Amino acid sequence: MSEHFKRDCFEILTRRAAAGEIDRRSFVKAAALLLSVPMAMRAKMAFAADQLVVANWGGDAIDAFQKAFGEPFTKATGIAVRIDGSGPTEGAIKAQITSGKIIWDVVDADANLGIAFGKEGVLEALDYNTIDRAKIRKGYDYEFGTPGYFFSYVLAYDSARFSDEAPTSPADFWNVEKFPGKRTMYKWMNGMLEAALLADGVKPEELYPLDIDRALAKIEALKPHIISFWGSGAESQQLLTEGEAAMGYIWNTRAILLGRDTDDQIKWGYDGGFLNSSTWITPKGNPAGRDNAMRFIATSQDAQSQVMLFDLLGNGPANPEADALIPDDRKALNCVSPEAEAKQVTLNAEWYADNYSAALEKFLALVSK
Amino acid sequence: MTRSWMRYAILLAPLPLFLVVSYVLPFLMVAKWSVTDPEPGFGQYIRIFTDPTVQAVLIRTLRICVIVTLVSVTLAYAIAYNWVFGPPRRQRLIEYCVLIPFWISVLIRAFGWLILLRNNGIINESLMGIGIIKEPLALVRNELGSIIGMTHFLIPFAVFPLASALRQVDPRVLQAASGLGAGRMRIFWTVTLPMTMPGVLGAGIIVFVFALGFFITPAILSGGRSVMVAEFIYLQLFQTVNWGLAAAISVVLLVIVAALGTLLHKVARLDKLVG
Repeated sequence: MSEHFKRDCFEILTRRAAAGEIDRRSFVKAAALLLSVPMAMRAKMAFAADQLVVANWGGDAIDAFQKAFGEPFTKATGIAVRIDGSGPTEGAIKAQITSGKIIWDVVDADANLGIAFGKEGVLEALDYNTIDRAKIRKGYDYEFGTPGYFFSYVLAYDSARFSDEAPTSPADFWNVEKFPGKRTMYKWMNGMLEAALLADGVKPEELYPLDIDRALAKIEALKPHIISFWGSGAESQQLLTEGEAAMGYIWNTRAILLGRDTDDQIKWGYDGGFLNSSTWITPKGNPAGRDNAMRFIATSQDAQSQVMLFDLLGNGPANPEADALIPDDRKALNCVSPEAEAKQVTLNAEWYADNYSAALEKFLALVSK
Repeated sequence: MTRSWMRYAILLAPLPLFLVVSYVLPFLMVAKWSVTDPEPGFGQYIRIFTDPTVQAVLIRTLRICVIVTLVSVTLAYAIAYNWVFGPPRRQRLIEYCVLIPFWISVLIRAFGWLILLRNNGIINESLMGIGIIKEPLALVRNELGSIIGMTHFLIPFAVFPLASALRQVDPRVLQAASGLGAGRMRIFWTVTLPMTMPGVLGAGIIVFVFALGFFITPAILSGGRSVMVAEFIYLQLFQTVNWGLAAAISVVLLVIVAALGTLLHKVARLDKLVG
């Protein structure tokens, strides 16, 4: 699920900053970009509230957010920003909603969560007078949420082991005769059922609604060849770097790092990948009010900010205008460029909204069996 | 008489009060979910005893905990025995070997085991290097990995009560057994072990209860494939958001732990285990 992805983004940032690959300033800025409020627009905001609370994923990012965001923001508007780093999991969001004690104004959540909570009537509908539809990719202007960024599950492999031919599809991932070696898959399931069904011969356009049992049977057949179901980005990276896994479905952000760290020994591409997105949501009754939350989301659309996030982490820009601003030599890394999108299957957030919990339970039962 | 009773009551009051406010009341609210979420009734409890997914998690947890308990207590007994009866130099060595890992973070220990046990880790590489095995042994990223990591973590928790039990064995009894002609093995099986049996049971219960709640070690060492009950509750709370089931399992766990706690009280006097 993308909440894990977001936590992982901070981990990548921290790691790169520690390795001296990015300076402190960029680190702070990138961390801030995960919540995306360009400075320029902030001064114009007319806040009625005295603080805006944003849920994030903790760690160093809390201080970084406060310095990068909170202090300048407070200077410009007189309104304090408080960063809550306790992690907006689905359960944590539901806890606030059920208790009626809403403390978050803007939450960086899963796309399926925007739909599911939206149906329950507990989210503010997005105000598309404030948020610019032209800065949203086609079809992502949901009633209760819109992406902050995109990311993918991609097929990465050790080119030292498969030097003749590269695995480029789910069918290759399942083909242990042609591509022998251990695999790793994602523990929280997103994209994995889709991969199994494609490998089993289902056409991409006929994937949804997913045939869960068929997908699980296909995964069960591959289980002897799966060394580990990775739960964190660091784990997925370690499995491939150390040679424990010969190939794996991992986040594109980690794949970019792997390619660079191993001098391209670990190769990957968007062929056979699965595209996913984050979503901004605002719970009904948020303390700073709907308008402030909407302005916050609107500011995150800025193309420059989106490119900055891509540069530092590898996240795909939510704003299509940003694609053109990416330097040519890095354009191929953009997971949501029209070329990359065409190679991948886009995860269906509607399906996940209705089926994620039940399917995940079955999936984990199989994984544990 | 009454006044001194009052004084003790006042001095003791903060702890139970703190526990009621910070633990008992919140837990009662959680327990309420188990019969109200998503609908009133005992559906979640019925699910625990009928749903194969939940059953599989519980059985797996039970199996891992039993194995970990048996192995930990056996190894801990040998360690504690040497700690108490061994020569001074060995006693110091054991102190270091038990205490130093005891102070190291659970995360670091789990990753340490991962590095040792994985397919291209030190153990497998060495065994393959000297030609004992051809294919790496699957020592980690499975249930075995969890068991090894948990056992290592829990051994100190068994060593301390066992050492305490062994120290309370009157050395004169052992001398008497020896004087009457019993060999070392016979003394151990007929005198030392029976006399320390409450300590063994106590250590077993302590280890088992700890093992029931394990989360991080299995998550790291099982390769994501052996979800134990603690992780399952987390899953139900935060990922699949089925609070009723999470609450019901928590209540069942609490009942089991409470029963074991009572048993611990019966078989071994707590003050002696920690004394």
